[in-house]
Amino acid sequence: MSLLIQCPICGRRNGYEFRYGGEDKGPYPDGPSISPAQWYDYVHANTCRAGVVREWWCHRQGCGLWFTLFRDTGTNVQVSAPEGEQ
Amino acid sequence: MKRRLSLPTRRVDLQRRIPFFYKKRTCYGVKGDTIATALYASGVRIFGRSLKYHRPRGLYSMDGECSNTMMTVDGVPNVRTETTLLREDMVIEEQNVLFSARNDLLGFMDRLDRFMPAGFYYESLHKPAILWPMAAKMVRKAAGLGHIDPGFRFSGICDEIYPAADVCVIGGGPAGMSAALAAAASGMRVILLEARPWLGGSFDYRLYAAGETMPLYEQAGELSSRVASNGGIRVFTRTAMVGGYNDNLVTAVTEGTPEDPFDYRYVEIRTKSVIVATGARERPLLFENNERPGVMQPDCALRLARTYGILPGRDAVFSVGHDFGLEAALDLSDLGVSVRAVADVRKDGHDPALLEEIHRRNIAFFPGWAAALAEGNKKVNSVRLSQIGTGRSRAFSCDLLAAAAGHTPACEPLALFCGRLAYNETTGYFLPGKYPPGVFAAGRVLGLEAPTSIRASGEWAGHEAAAFCGADCHAAAKDARKALDGLPGPHAGSNWIAHPGPGRKRFVCFDEDVTEKNVRQALARGFDVPELIKRFTAAGTGPGQGGISGHNLPLLVSALTKKNAAVPTTVRPPLRPVLLSAYAGNGREMTKKTPVHEAQAKQGAVFRRVGSWHRARYFSADLDVTEEVANVRSNVGILDASTLGCFRIFGPDALSALQRVYAGDMSAIRDGRIKYAAMCNHDGCVIDDGVVIRTGTNDYRFTTSTGRAGETGEWIRYHTRFEKWDFHLVNLTDGTGVINLAGPRARDVLEKITDADISNEAFSFGSWRAFRLAGGIPVTCMRLGFVGELSFELNIPASFMQAAWDMLLEAGRDMALRPFGVEAQNVLRLEKGHVILGQESEQRTNLLDLNLGFLWSRNKDIKPVGADALGQAESDPNRLTLTGIRMADTHAVPPDGSVIVNNAADRRVIGYIGTIRKSAAVGAVVGMALVEGPYTREGTRLAIYDGHSNMNVFQHATVVRMPFYDPEGERMRI
Repeated sequence: MSLLIQCPICGRRNGYEFRYGGEDKGPYPDGPSISPAQWYDYVHANTCRAGVVREWWCHRQGCGLWFTLFRDTGTNVQVSAPEGEQ
Repeated sequence: MKRRLSLPTRRVDLQRRIPFFYKKRTCYGVKGDTIATALYASGVRIFGRSLKYHRPRGLYSMDGECSNTMMTVDGVPNVRTETTLLREDMVIEEQNVLFSARNDLLGFMDRLDRFMPAGFYYESLHKPAILWPMAAKMVRKAAGLGHIDPGFRFSGICDEIYPAADVCVIGGGPAGMSAALAAAASGMRVILLEARPWLGGSFDYRLYAAGETMPLYEQAGELSSRVASNGGIRVFTRTAMVGGYNDNLVTAVTEGTPEDPFDYRYVEIRTKSVIVATGARERPLLFENNERPGVMQPDCALRLARTYGILPGRDAVFSVGHDFGLEAALDLSDLGVSVRAVADVRKDGHDPALLEEIHRRNIAFFPGWAAALAEGNKKVNSVRLSQIGTGRSRAFSCDLLAAAAGHTPACEPLALFCGRLAYNETTGYFLPGKYPPGVFAAGRVLGLEAPTSIRASGEWAGHEAAAFCGADCHAAAKDARKALDGLPGPHAGSNWIAHPGPGRKRFVCFDEDVTEKNVRQALARGFDVPELIKRFTAAGTGPGQGGISGHNLPLLVSALTKKNAAVPTTVRPPLRPVLLSAYAGNGREMTKKTPVHEAQAKQGAVFRRVGSWHRARYFSADLDVTEEVANVRSNVGILDASTLGCFRIFGPDALSALQRVYAGDMSAIRDGRIKYAAMCNHDGCVIDDGVVIRTGTNDYRFTTSTGRAGETGEWIRYHTRFEKWDFHLVNLTDGTGVINLAGPRARDVLEKITDADISNEAFSFGSWRAFRLAGGIPVTCMRLGFVGELSFELNIPASFMQAAWDMLLEAGRDMALRPFGVEAQNVLRLEKGHVILGQESEQRTNLLDLNLGFLWSRNKDIKPVGADALGQAESDPNRLTLTGIRMADTHAVPPDGSVIVNNAADRRVIGYIGTIRKSAAVGAVVGMALVEGPYTREGTRLAIYDGHSNMNVFQHATVVRMPFYDPEGERMRI
């Protein structure tokens, strides 16, 4: 957890203060139409990509906000949004 | 041994003698000595025996590069005596010896090397299997270093600090100091780390330098006084860097002196920029018996003399491969060591000024020669020098052989920051190909040898680091670069390895007793890269962490395999051995105490940790808590439940948020009534339970279990993160005290201290009321039945807790009201079949498994977290399900967690026990277990393996209906 994280409210803070919330997979898929397999994929299947990944983090020891950021999982540092994403 | 008095470079105070005990006799060192230098000055040459072959080992280096001089100090094994400061009355013992280091009865092991090739542990000792326990025992006895006593507890004091800086400079030599001064000149906050007790690096003990008017030690003194008087630089001496991580986090450990309030201090530095100026150490020279006591590195010999005033030997031979080696030979010669011969692996390329001095002193000089063999049974008494290529040789008798193949960079910190290093043909060094942002290097670590270049590179790095941090000093950085480019660049290093030969006693790694021959054996088995050979032979895995083998192993492998590129092995933190206690730091107790902690302690409470809290578990020495339980069942008891999580959620969308996280329908909460509710995760597994009440329009209170309070806020915000719902969540846990007053006479007690109507008609089971206790203490009171008796759960502002607690005890004095602990509550609720999550449930247990399906709302419009999974699990009849069991034996209580099998013959595991206790109310041993669906029918016989007795002995239990006590729940409704 040596990485530094830019919290949208509190600014750049020590990684210890944050809690990881998994890859960003978008809002919950909508109820009645989806199959158990689709739900399983949404909840448990991750891309586990080595590279830039958009993730959820929570500033648990600060403002408590959940927000997304881009992290390079190869170097474990926060990076700016790749082109075409924000 | 007499020490040199008049050296200006001396760092010890000869007037202040320090007594210590070595082998039961009193010896003396002086203030400033390390344990190793004090022993050396007392005439000790053999410090211990090696790990595998029990070879005698002595002082070889000065910064803990190998385990040669590790000893047991004051009962602590493996103390690195080269870097540990001598303290008064230390008791110092040798390690890995039978009898003594000088006369080790296991010394014959050295001749058995042909029976112990590389990897012999893995290959030979496991067959036949029956021999292994005996072989392991013997190996453990004979091999290894210090002996650790299983009862050993580190008794020192550890501390931790977390400073921040703009620039962190690692290494307080001339380059590091110059860098720190340059960065501080631009207004940067600088932290300077130095592993030795003083700044100065290699300049601290050197005189000579071509073209320098000021001796190097004076230059070091001048730089360090400028550093000391610079307010922008914070200096940490005796502080070795141990880790470097992404986003430039640096960790280090300070070794305390007797004046410090700690023995070790963990230092974690947040810095924007890092400058690595760790300098160089000497690359060990490989020759037969290259680690015989009396063989040491020239740098070690010179520092013994210059820093500690100890002449390292009388008659010396030098075998070197670098100008510094020549310089050391000259200086030691001038200090009174008789230098018999100097061999240099280089045929040419020496500093001409140094050569001239050598000739002027009539020292025999052999360019293109190197040591081939050190002789002497326990200590060196002669050395054979051989000409490279021709094999011509000459022998010299000596008691000191200063040997090194050349310099090697102390590049481990760079490897941590920059990843894999590459071989540099000019310097023969391993250096980074590219640096991550904000990381710079300066000085000898880059191969610079000229003092002016070393200082100039530090200045350049300091300006660059400051510029990286945003200082306006790009011009200064540019000028510094220009100045540096005009000075001598990196020196050509020597890539000499060894004379031809099998290398049977040429030690590549001292810690693990790995010879050149072992490396050849590893290669013959197909391990063809250093990384694999390191694993197979264990070279570089000892306490020195590659300090001896780090550079030679890749060079040797590259030469033996005829592959060009030498590839270094991976460097990982910690770079030095660090006590786990040092990482653990000051170990402060971080648990919370409830507002009535002290009051309960006075009443005899025994506390246990529960989550982040200390809770009263017992109020007597009786671990079966018979009396506490009986008092609640027949009279009245009082429980401090302040650790329960307590939250307020309010705002227009508060209900939507509750609907999302709770499995039930929260819109159905009626005024004045309590709703029991549970939270599930996406798998339908229960993560929390508690009660919810509505205190106003869009205003709710809810409780969580003790362990979940910290996470609940995150949980609710996480599961509502995509909606822009408008609600506020307040964690009231620490501000709210909770008292559970329970027992048939609970109302009699409470009535005495409140005017509110708390009769069963006005305030029935399952409802809540807000009222005041005497004196105006506001309470929110709930009628719950966790323990199965009439009970009032009082939520009280924490500041009133003590007063309310005292008032209740006073009111109940004539009714024998007594506090009860968590264990009594555990038995009481077990008798009622009420679950505690984490005891009756585990990660995979869902709401239905706990027979709590009634808490799940099937209203499709709500769709709480976990609803999909619950729907899918509903049709599975084989899931582990909560089941009541009653033991056949009325006394034997198996431990919680005991495994349940289908029967004693088949022994298929079908579940396990959550909680089981002897119940006075039921008159039997009863428990709750998770058991596979088909085995949960009433009357089914189960076999229980209790984990303690013989595998063939099972206890038996029968499935019974729950609750065990008061099945109709009449007692909590009175």
